[in-house]
Amino acid sequence: MSKKLDPHCEAILQEYRDHKDEFEKYAVAFKQQLSEVFSSSGLLVAALECRVKTESSLAGKLELKGSKYSSLSDITDIIGLRVITFYIDDVDKVASAVERLYDIDWENSVDKRKAHEIDSFGYLSLHYICRRKDFPYRFEIQMRTLLQHAWANMNHDTGYKSGVEIPTYYLRNMNRLAGMLELADEQFSRIRSELTEYRRRIHSLVKSGNLDEVPLDGDAFRSYLEMNPFSDLNRKIASVNQAEIQEVSLMGFLKILKAIGMKTLGDVERFKKDYADAAYQLACYQIGLTDLDIVSSSIGPQNLCAVFILINGGGRAGLKRMFDALNGESSANEMMADFLVEQAADLPFMNKKK
Amino acid sequence: MKVTVENQGLETIVWFEGRLDTPSSLEVSKQLEEEISAKEASRTVILDCTKLDYISSSGLRIFLTLRKAASAAGGKVVIRNMNDNIRSVFLITGFLNLFEVF
Repeated sequence: MSKKLDPHCEAILQEYRDHKDEFEKYAVAFKQQLSEVFSSSGLLVAALECRVKTESSLAGKLELKGSKYSSLSDITDIIGLRVITFYIDDVDKVASAVERLYDIDWENSVDKRKAHEIDSFGYLSLHYICRRKDFPYRFEIQMRTLLQHAWANMNHDTGYKSGVEIPTYYLRNMNRLAGMLELADEQFSRIRSELTEYRRRIHSLVKSGNLDEVPLDGDAFRSYLEMNPFSDLNRKIASVNQAEIQEVSLMGFLKILKAIGMKTLGDVERFKKDYADAAYQLACYQIGLTDLDIVSSSIGPQNLCAVFILINGGGRAGLKRMFDALNGESSANEMMADFLVEQAADLPFMNKKK
Repeated sequence: MKVTVENQGLETIVWFEGRLDTPSSLEVSKQLEEEISAKEASRTVILDCTKLDYISSSGLRIFLTLRKAASAAGGKVVIRNMNDNIRSVFLITGFLNLFEVF
C-alpha cells in the first residue's frame, strides 16, 4: 500500500478482510449458478470468469475516493463476474438470465452499448449491479462479446486507463477498430441467423420427403441420417447371422457419396434403392459363412458405395479411394480393395453387368 | 491367448498374441477391465495386433468396449499391425472406419 488510509477507509478495508473468505465462496457460487443456468438453457458462452477484488485494488480505490463510501456495502464490485459470449444477440440472453436470477440495482447498472453517440465507437459492455437475498453485498456482472472483450483488453493493455495523455492518432485508431469489431459482431450474428434458417428449411424439406430439392451437404445429410435411411438394409444384412447392430456415426460417408456423383438427397435415395440388392449380396458372401454376430451400422452404406463403384467400373482404384476417404490413406487400403474386387468377381451383381 | 498391457510414456500398449476367440475373450475382457483403468483410457491406447492370429465377434466386442471407455475418458484407441485376415474381419463387419488403424 502506497499511503496510510484514514480510519474510516481502514475500517472499510478491515470489513473486507473479515469477509474475504466469504466473498471467495460466494464468487464461486454465483459463477456456478450462472453456469448451470446457461447450460440448462443451451446457451453456449465463450467464457465465464469471477474474481474477488484484491486488497490492494480496494485500498487504491479507497485512497482515491474513500469518502464516497460509508461502508463496504457501498462498493458494488467487491465480487465481479464476467460473461463473454460468442454472439452479440447472446449478451441480451445472458442479461435476461441474470435478471431472472438476481435483483438488479438499475440505478447503478450501465449499458455501455447505449452510452455512445451516433458517431462514436468504443467500449461496449453491459454492466449489471446485482443483489441476492442471502448475500448482504452487491456484486457486478459484466456481459460482452468476445470481440468487445478483445477490444476492451487491448485498449486497457495499451494504457488508456493509465492517466497518461494518449496521442490522438492512437485514440482514433482504437475507435476505428471498435467500429470494425462492432460490424464484425453484427455480421457473425447475421451469419448465425441465416445458417439456422437454412438448417430449418433443409430439415423441413427432408421431413416432407422433397429430397430432390435438398442439396447434399453436411446439414442436409445430418437431417437425412436422423431418418435412419440405411436401417432397413442394415437389418437385412444383420439378419444373415442374426447379428447385433452397433450404431456408429455415418457422417463420414458424405464425402464418398459426393465423390461418386450424388448431388441431392434424392440422388442418395435412388442410389440406395438401385444398389441395395447388390450390397446385400456382397454382405451375404462376406459374413454368411462366418460366425460373426456383430456388425456396425456403417455396413449398409459401406457396401452400397463399394458395389456402386464396382458396378460402374471404378474397380480397384475407386475402392482404394473410398477406403482412403473412410479410413485415412494407407497402403493397406490397396489390400482391402483387392480383397473386395476378388470377392465380388463371382457375385450375381457383377455378372449381371457383364 | 496372451495379452500384455504396458504403459510407455503417454501411451498404453496392449499386446495381443494368439487367437482372440469366444472362449479366450472372457478372460481377456476381465484382464483388460482390471489393467486399463480410466487413467489409461484417458490416454492413447494402442492395440498391437502383430501376433494376433484370429479375432471373433467376442474379440471385436472387446475392441469396441475399449474404444467406448477411451472415448468416455477423453482418450483414443489405435489399432496397429493387423494382418490381412484380421483387417478383413473389421472390413466386412463395417468396423474398420471406426478405429484409427496403422
